[in-house]
Parts: sequence; C-alpha cells; structure tokens
Amino acid sequence: MEQFERIPLDLEKIKTQEEDDLFYFVDQSNVSSERITAPRYSYWRSVFRIFFSKKLNIIFLSILVLVVAMAFIFPAIFPYDKFAHNTEGIANLSPAELINRFGFSFEWILGTGQFGDSIFYGIWASARISLSLSLICALINMSIGILIGAVWGYNKAVDSVLNVVYNIIANVPYILMISVLVYVIGSGFGSFVFALTITGWLGIAYFMRTQVLIIRDREYNLASKTLGTPMARIVTKNVLPYLTSVIVTLLASEIPHYISMEVFLTYIGVGLSAEVPSLGHMISDAQTSWMSYPWAFWSPVAISAIITVILYVVGQNLADASDPRSHMK
Amino acid sequence: MKKDASQNYPATIPYKKGDPILSLQHVDITFGSGRKTFKAVSDASFDIYEGETVSLVGESGSGKTTIGRAIVRINPCSAGAIYYKGEKISGKLSHAKSKEVVRKIQMIFQDPAASLNERATIEYSISEGLYNFHLYKDKEDRIAKVEKIIEEVGLLPEHLTRYPHEFSGGQRQRVGIARSMVMEPEFIVADEPISALDVSIRAQVLNLMKKFQKEKNLTYLFIAHDLSIVRYISSRIVVIHLGKIVEIAQTEELFSHPLHPYTKSLMSAIPIPDPRLEKKKNLFVYDASAHVYTPEDNPHMEDIGNGHFVYGSDKELASYKHKRNGGK
Repeated sequence: MEQFERIPLDLEKIKTQEEDDLFYFVDQSNVSSERITAPRYSYWRSVFRIFFSKKLNIIFLSILVLVVAMAFIFPAIFPYDKFAHNTEGIANLSPAELINRFGFSFEWILGTGQFGDSIFYGIWASARISLSLSLICALINMSIGILIGAVWGYNKAVDSVLNVVYNIIANVPYILMISVLVYVIGSGFGSFVFALTITGWLGIAYFMRTQVLIIRDREYNLASKTLGTPMARIVTKNVLPYLTSVIVTLLASEIPHYISMEVFLTYIGVGLSAEVPSLGHMISDAQTSWMSYPWAFWSPVAISAIITVILYVVGQNLADASDPRSHMK
Repeated sequence: MKKDASQNYPATIPYKKGDPILSLQHVDITFGSGRKTFKAVSDASFDIYEGETVSLVGESGSGKTTIGRAIVRINPCSAGAIYYKGEKISGKLSHAKSKEVVRKIQMIFQDPAASLNERATIEYSISEGLYNFHLYKDKEDRIAKVEKIIEEVGLLPEHLTRYPHEFSGGQRQRVGIARSMVMEPEFIVADEPISALDVSIRAQVLNLMKKFQKEKNLTYLFIAHDLSIVRYISSRIVVIHLGKIVEIAQTEELFSHPLHPYTKSLMSAIPIPDPRLEKKKNLFVYDASAHVYTPEDNPHMEDIGNGHFVYGSDKELASYKHKRNGGK
C-alpha cells in the first residue's frame, strides 16, 4: 500500500504569525441572537399559497367559477319558462333537428324536453336553484351546528341534554322526516330549506362536539383558564381557530351533499314543487325516456355531477391547504 | 350537586403581615368518582411566606402538579381548604373573588410548546390576561405594557406579530413567563418551568424568574424534580411522595440533614458531575415497608426543631429528632 508522505508542520512560521491575525473576538449580541429571520407567517396567506400551488386546483376553481357565474347570470338574461313552447309541438327534439328547423341558437344546443322547453336554459335555471339551496342550507346548518357543537363540547350540563336529543332525532330516518315535513308545510323553496335545516345542524353539532372534546383540555386551554379567559373567548380564540381545517373539510362535503340531496329528494317526489325549476325535476321528467331522448336526461345529470364533484374536490384541497401542517413544506 | 368540600373551614382566617401568604390545610385531591376514585393528594398541609420560593419535589405522579393546579383553581379539593392572605380560595367562590384570585395567582406551565395558543400571535397571548381584566386604559397603553414586558423577558417588540411555532423552546417559555407577569401577580405557581427546556438555556429562564422575584416581591411555588436546581432557587423545600408530604425544611437544612428515608433516597439520586465519583456512589433505595404504622402509633407531621417538619410515627419522629441533634 502506498504511504502518504507527512507534511511536516512549519512550527517556526506559525509562531511568528501574530495571534491577532488568526482570530479576533466577535461581540456577543443578545438582541441579534433573539431575532427571527424567517419570513413572516400568515395563516390565510399560507393557505392560499398551498392551494394555488396545485395546477389542478386552478383549473377546477375556474370551472367552478364559470359554472356558478353561468348559473346566477344566465337565467337572469334568458329567463327559463318550462311551458313557454308547450303548444308549438317541439317536444323532445334533438339538438340537430332543432338547429335544422330554427337555425343555430344557444336555446337549442341541448335539445328540448317533454314540454318543448330548452334543456340548456333549464339546466342553468335549475343549477341556480340547487346552488342557492345548498349554499343557504350549508350556511344555516354550519353556523348553528358549529356554535351549538362548541358549547356542547364545553358544557357538561348541555352535553347530557343534547346527547339525548341527538340520540332520539338521529334514530328517525332522515328521508322519512323530510318527506313528512314537506307534506305538512308544503314544498316551496323556503319550506324545503326549512325541512333540511330543522334537524340538519344536529349531525354537524355532534361532530363539532367530538372535535371540541379532543382539544378542550389541552394545556394551552388550561393556560387561558388560569389567565381568567371567559369560555366564550376560549371557544372563539382557542378552539375554533384550531378547527378551521376541520370546518373547511366539513363544508367541502356539506355543500355537494345538499345538492345531491335536492336532486335525490326531488327525483323521488318529496322535494321541491313542480313549478320550481330543479335538476331533480329535469332528471325525473326525462328518466322514463332516457334511451330515446338522451340529451334531456344526461344534461342535468352531467351538470349536477360536475357541480358536486368540483365542489367536493376544490373543498377537499382547500381543507388540505388549511391544515397548518402542510404550510411548513 | 357536589358538596363544597371546604365548607367546614371558615371563609377567612386572621391574616397580618408576616403570616403565611398561602396556606394549605389538610388538602385532599381526588379524581374520578364512586369506585374508581383515585386519591392523588392526601392531607397536604404547608405554608408559604411572602417573598420566598418554596419548592415542591417528588417523583413523577407524586401529586406535585396536582397541588399546583389546585392552587390556581383548576383542580378542586375534595377535603381541606387553601387560604390566600387569610381568604379561602378553594371551593365555591363569588365571581368577583374568583377573578381576583385568578389575577393574583398565576401559573407558569411545564411545556412551552403545549401551553401557548399556536393560532394566536404572541401579542394576543401576552395581552390575553390584560383583556380579561381590562388592565389597560386604551390600545396604546396595552401595546406599551406588552412591549415593556416582552423586553423585560429579553425578547424583541418585533416578535409580537409572530406565532409560537417560530420560536425556540426557551423563547416560548419566556413568552409564557411574560404572559403571567404582565398581570402583575403576587404569587406564581411554576410547574416545572424548565424541565422541557434545553440544559443550555435553563439558567437563563431561572435567572429571569429570580430577577422578577427581586423586582416585584413575588412568591413562588416551584414544582420540580431536579434537586440540584431546587437547591439553587428555593428557600424552603417540601418533599412529597405518592400524594403524602413527608418532609418540609429550609433548603440547606434539608440538604445537610435529610431525615425521612424517602428524602434520603432522593438526595442520593442527585447525579454527581464526575464520572468516577458517580460510579462509586451508593444509591439509597427507599423501602416503604420499613415503616411500621399501627393505629396506636399514627403517623403525622411534626416539627422536630429548626422549622424542620417530618412525617412519621412517634417512634420514628423520636429517632429523627435524635439523628438531627447529632446522635447516631
């Protein structure tokens, strides 16, 4: 094996060098040792940074914005009247036949339904109803559910009462209860919202109660207690901010849930009344002849699927982004 | 409804300057109810005088933290009473009294990572107590108070807009100290304030606590299991074993004359920072079965002179007294 030659240290040379040239004292600064050089952290800015760093989210969000804008603007410009062409004998025509007869118009690009109504106009008017219904229901149920759930998790007396209420109501079949309510109070838009929200918040509140129970006795909450913080502020400042991502996740599944709920309930005949345009009605009207007139059936199915799937995916990704553990990457 | 355990105790006891600022009288603390009852602390009595640092030492699970939390009214007492400046602070209190106690008795927590609200800025965490008691005139006054206290604990005003996860453990603990100090308390329960910290910054936090004590005439109950630190910081030591207080004495008195066998075993477990001596060290193992307690010879706490209290039967106490006075 080859031996490395040792380079002898030139001790004389080192000795002659002044010590001051080699080392010098650095002042210790307490202030600079405390300084944090990391960029400033902001919770919501980090949420959106993570959310928009995925291209898929941008695409899906654009589609969502487009669909929502169409649903709320289009019916206002081109009002949909189901029975406007009822007597003109153009029922159940395909887009090709209609364009041959009337020339190209957006009114005919998805064909007509059994009353000669434009499917294209119909889906937007219905989407508007479905979206408003689900947004209103989600808003009401989430706000009531979160507030009551927070108190439910915190207060033992409230807990024992609400647990009984929950056990009783949760054991009544949901569909049955809504059908009965719709029969009793009618089936307009307002009464349908009422039927969906009268007990709809209970499940959300129960879920929130469990989440609150998990973090209620964490040490930082004890610390707030020893500082004399009242319960209301512990809930709003200590508990709810920790549950932001849980709440966004919940919202992400709640909004599409109400859209499917509307479609399903209207489809089985216990939902909105016939004069309210709705995706559920369009599907149930077209379902008997879906083989012969596929456009009248698949268009509302597609739009309801697009809305629910996109809302769900966007919501889930927003929920992921709102989890602070994802911010450190 | 639960019965107020301390109702047999008077709401106030005579208090004048020189009397103990905090007094625990036969305090029992139990968890659970019915058959699952667990007694964490039984018959704990000790006094703390104004301006002193009393350390509560004992092994994990001996009830140190439980006592500390009973003083800040997180854990209820199932028997006995706690007096602060002659007023009972355990059991049911009026809203105003309870608020007053909360402001005067503050707590420093063990784990600085767990005891700060991760979703609130440092400014909110420090202002929290100020908000609760409205201890400020206007927003500027509050900010000025917060900035003053954050500089006193050696942090910078620019830290106020930061979040706890951006800080090191020592910095977080100093935020925790700042948040209790800003309320200008008189008594602080420090629950192992340095156990979760890196060894290199323990002294910094201890010195900070000592500085505040000197400046503001604070009284500390220092909960710890590290005896070398306890010796440095405290004026008196309370030794607790499985929820029972076994020995109370002045720091040097206890270190030079540990009498109860449990205290002896604790002392013998203090590490010696010399590996050769450490290897040769004889560990004294505490054997609880060595105590022979009979109904006729009930163990109790007794002063055996020099303000040295030991728990034991009459026979044991006699031998402790003999040993203390130089006998073999």
